[in-house]
Amino acid sequence: MNQDTQVSFEAVDGSEAGDGGVEHGALLSRLCEAIFSGDADHLASVRDDVLEVAGADVLVDAVAVSANFYMMTRIADGTGTPLDAGSIEPSAEIRELVGVNNFTSRREAHL
Amino acid sequence: MAAYATELPIRPDLDASHAEVARRWATSGAWWSGAERLAMVEEVRRARDGDQLAPWVSPSQIDGLIAEDHVLPSAAVDAIWRLTNHPGTLTAEWHASILSQGVNPEAYVELVGVVSQANAVDRFADALNLTRVDLPEPSFDEPPQLTNDSATVTSHWVPTVPIKGPNVVKALSAVPFEGDSMNLLLEAQYVKMGSLLGDLVSDQNSLTRMQVEVLAARTSKLNECFY
Repeated sequence: MNQDTQVSFEAVDGSEAGDGGVEHGALLSRLCEAIFSGDADHLASVRDDVLEVAGADVLVDAVAVSANFYMMTRIADGTGTPLDAGSIEPSAEIRELVGVNNFTSRREAHL
Repeated sequence: MAAYATELPIRPDLDASHAEVARRWATSGAWWSGAERLAMVEEVRRARDGDQLAPWVSPSQIDGLIAEDHVLPSAAVDAIWRLTNHPGTLTAEWHASILSQGVNPEAYVELVGVVSQANAVDRFADALNLTRVDLPEPSFDEPPQLTNDSATVTSHWVPTVPIKGPNVVKALSAVPFEGDSMNLLLEAQYVKMGSLLGDLVSDQNSLTRMQVEVLAARTSKLNECFY
């Protein structure tokens, strides 16, 4: 991977949208969706897919990253954390693309 | 002692971080005793495993759901369930309503820390079909309950201390012990603090940084987190 890699936000939008230029992007997105759903059978099926396609190390590390954001989202939303002042303008287009502007949790830094 | 017994290749630093955070849950914090902090973790588990309540329904309003002699005040239990199951619905008014029921602002910060960590650690175990981490025996030391004089309400709903870093890292700064626990998990499960914004290209264990960010962003969106 290098800084010239072309990526898009498809995999962030949902697993049906494609890889977005990220290796196994759609599969990793599907793993996130299965973890969120809490459906044990669906999750077991997606785990098997990740094991087969990417391996056990990737499965464990991917689950760890996703699980970490069950912490970070609750810290941000439980404390009223505003967007960082320096990221409001640079992230405006991305926020529009990934469709988060209507979330109840929208809070921007006071400039 | 290892946190997990499994044939899956859980990195030693990742396993150790979960064991250490479980140990920290059982110690007395700044505002809550070890027994109260472990009760928060148990309540996260009850909130996740039980029938889902609508965001506007507080578990303390439902007859028989919460024991009358619960070690935690009702407002704390209600906050734990809402944080666990509906984090994207939280508002400043909701936060104010929790404080108005007698929860100290910094005690609330500590609660958010413990509850958030428990959500991450248990979600990891559940997603890999592992037994959740064992909870140690609690410390019986009394929490000092001393206000952090350098913490004030400025940018967040909660009091924070003026430290460098992203706002979400600053969120728990009024209770440094919880900020340290968050960093332990964040570095083992996501990226090292130094790489958070300083190195956006290096691989992270078996994942590329772009794969890490897809996982982070997709999970955050599923949780309806604007930040």
